Amino acid sequence: MTLDAAVVRTLLGHEIRMLLRDRRTVLFSVVLPLMLMPLMMFGSQAMEKRRQQRLQAAEYSFIVTGPAADEVRPLIDRTMARLREERARGGEALRVAQSVSADAIGALKRGEVDFVVEASKTADVPVVTVVKRGDTERSSRAAARWRDALRETRRENRAALLATAGLPVPVAEVAVVKDAGIATQGQVAGLTLGRLLTLMLLMFLLTGGSSVATDSLAGEKERGTLETLLTTAAGRTEIVTAKLLAVVIVALTTTVIQVGNLLIYVGFKIIPAGAGFSAAIHPAATVVVLALFLPLAALAASGLLLVSGHARTYKEAQFLFLPVFLGGMVPALAAFLPGVALRSAIVAVPIANVSVAVKEILTGRFDWPMLVAVFVVNAAAAAWLVRLTVRALSTERLIAPTASDTMAALGGAPLFGRHVFRWFAVLFALLIVTSSYLGQAHVRVQVSFNLLLLFPGVAALALWHYRLAPRETLALRPVKPAVWLAVLIGAPAGLLTGIAVFRLAALLFPVPPQMLEAFSKALLPEDFPLWQAVLFVAVLPGIVEELVFRGLFLHGLTRRFHPVAAVVVVGLMFGLVHVSLFRLLPTAYLGMLLASVTLVTGSVFPAMLWHFLNNLLSVSSGALDIPWGSFGADVYGAAAAALALSGWILWRNRTPYPGLRG
Amino acid sequence: MTASITARALQKVFIDEGRGEVRAVDGVDFECRPGEIFGLLGANGAGKTTTLRMLSTILQPTAGTATVMGHDIVTQPELVRRHLGFYSASTALYPRLTARETIEFFARVNGYPADRIAARVGALVERFGIGAYAKARVDKLSSGMKQKVSIARTVAHDPPVLIFDEPTVGLDVINALDMQQVIAEFRAEGKAIVFSTHIMSEAERLCDRIAIINGGRILACDTLAALREATGHRYLEDIFVHFVRPEQAMPATGGRA
Repeated sequence: MTLDAAVVRTLLGHEIRMLLRDRRTVLFSVVLPLMLMPLMMFGSQAMEKRRQQRLQAAEYSFIVTGPAADEVRPLIDRTMARLREERARGGEALRVAQSVSADAIGALKRGEVDFVVEASKTADVPVVTVVKRGDTERSSRAAARWRDALRETRRENRAALLATAGLPVPVAEVAVVKDAGIATQGQVAGLTLGRLLTLMLLMFLLTGGSSVATDSLAGEKERGTLETLLTTAAGRTEIVTAKLLAVVIVALTTTVIQVGNLLIYVGFKIIPAGAGFSAAIHPAATVVVLALFLPLAALAASGLLLVSGHARTYKEAQFLFLPVFLGGMVPALAAFLPGVALRSAIVAVPIANVSVAVKEILTGRFDWPMLVAVFVVNAAAAAWLVRLTVRALSTERLIAPTASDTMAALGGAPLFGRHVFRWFAVLFALLIVTSSYLGQAHVRVQVSFNLLLLFPGVAALALWHYRLAPRETLALRPVKPAVWLAVLIGAPAGLLTGIAVFRLAALLFPVPPQMLEAFSKALLPEDFPLWQAVLFVAVLPGIVEELVFRGLFLHGLTRRFHPVAAVVVVGLMFGLVHVSLFRLLPTAYLGMLLASVTLVTGSVFPAMLWHFLNNLLSVSSGALDIPWGSFGADVYGAAAAALALSGWILWRNRTPYPGLRG
Repeated sequence: MTASITARALQKVFIDEGRGEVRAVDGVDFECRPGEIFGLLGANGAGKTTTLRMLSTILQPTAGTATVMGHDIVTQPELVRRHLGFYSASTALYPRLTARETIEFFARVNGYPADRIAARVGALVERFGIGAYAKARVDKLSSGMKQKVSIARTVAHDPPVLIFDEPTVGLDVINALDMQQVIAEFRAEGKAIVFSTHIMSEAERLCDRIAIINGGRILACDTLAALREATGHRYLEDIFVHFVRPEQAMPATGGRA
């Protein structure tokens, strides 16, 4: 496909002009980062300085304990004296104070002291252990410095002893070990910088480009100008190319501003840079690194544009950016992998190869053929994403406002079918959060909260938000009398059949016994009166969970999925909210049975009775000692027959659920 | 005279999440000649917009073909768009451009000769009375002003074919009448115009030939006079019902109401 350069130029000029006139974009991609960055750096530096000062100035308390406490006391006293002298000379020595307690470790745990000196005895030598609380920085730091101080005292003692014994060995000279490396200072700094650079620049590119990318496709869709643009002589490829160039230009500009900003602060020594920082930035290396960042910028821009092209609104695009950011950042961490050379499979992985290449360049290695490969791989990846974006502009559901957009704009009942999973996710998240708070509370409290507040609350919110008709949505419809008979037969039969299926499965692969038990045993505390068990475990779940799952969620899912799929999904949702691995499958099985009953009878009431009976039987297993889980094959066979009979009665008396698909 | 637009057995099938396969357009044939206003008359969801979007190459037909000024909509979409101006209530303007910049941008991007763009923009600004607010940003304009700018950008590159998809939706009476008048002027200039509407009076007043479209199919296509003769109804409303809902149709009045 040929590109009309004149058209691309016109479109690009247009994009840039629009961009500069959008205060929001300018603010978010240039002004804000420009101001935030130094603020952040100053802030974190000031905080760190303060923290260090406080740790330095603090007085730390400790306790000496253990069987050999008396023997090590001279060592401790000498050390404390030495630290005092050092401070008197103006040094920054540790400030310590001894404290006394019968329960030294307890005092440490309670935070009354910062560390404990434990003196034990092995053979003839006393062993001093400095015990710290590793979870607080104060304790860890104090303990480490105290340990060093003790060692220093011991070394001085030893030197003094040797001297009195007539052996004046300059101990200090012997003890010094030097660290030497063959890398230049520049290479060492290059390694540090090289590891971080790609990650940092990619972050700048993505943050700088994202607001423009959102505006230029998703924003155009939202404003309705994309359709106008698509009816002009400009081709889709030209449109995307111009937009890509615009995003690249902005992303690069903001990146240059950011980096320049950073360099200025480093140059004026406002932000301290590591030694050899300037040595790492060699002119040749800079040129090659910049050359590699060009396709990286194109790749970042095309990724952003692709996401923007697949979103129909500004909001949707911003929502989709998160995975792009994460997906982009993770490969950029490749430089941190130890021992990975560019001359390996990593050269074929976009972004990751730049990360490794930049590290190598900054440490002075130039593997030219591989560097060319890096350039080509990233450019090709960018081109591929551009193609996908062009295709997105030909995808009708993405460009032309359709019935679903009107729906989205107006809200209302049909939209709920598309949002069922969102609502379920919200419910599930709330359930997880609250259960972590209520985990210790009594079952009564947990069940009351979930079934009287959380579930009805979420359901009522959904009904109100989409203006759903409660009677129709919750399937509150009368049923034929024969249905009740079928439920009375079906509920115990369903329970037994479920157990049988999983016992059979246990023959093939290991099924945890807890899972089988979860079918038939409600987990109840000992002190639960029977009437309360019936209320909290059978009546309330029977009513509330049915209204939410077989009412609200099943209704939404049948608008969108084939009935069979809706039944399976509702079953899995029901299994998930029981937040227990072993109960997942048994409850999912029950959920599917109940959903099927609701779809066949067109009403939620039979499922309520079924659910109530099922749970009642489970409670009775505990209370009345009925061994649901250990009957013989004959009982389970009869149950299967009874379930089939129940199903047959239901089917004969079916009142189909309205509006099913397929 | 050869036709500027020819549509042959155009078909568009959507896969809708909720409804499954939807035949939005199901075998549409028509022609439109220079200096003619061809009307697509149908209810909402009849397939008007989908047909026009295929002609303007925003959508690809599932089957069938169409040409605009001899260029195929599938194989030569760029050439088709170069010869066509598309206006609909949903084609918005760039809020951050001025009225003049808007017209200039669309002339340029549609390949109007660069050396004549300034003169063309000036002429359009004058013709549509935009002069007073030519330098104002579009988002500051009233809906009536925006409508004028929109028309000007549609014809910025002086295309021989114009497509108006329900152009009067959401306009007040005065603006709607202005719009009708402008479209009539374009016909006088010899442009081939396809015009879709669900408003009977508009179709009656403006269209040289009317196609009654329903369920993605053209049920009847002729001049108003010929349609009256064929159905025996005087009013276009009755003619429309006669084709779309034969069971509800009034008894024919023999052309005398």
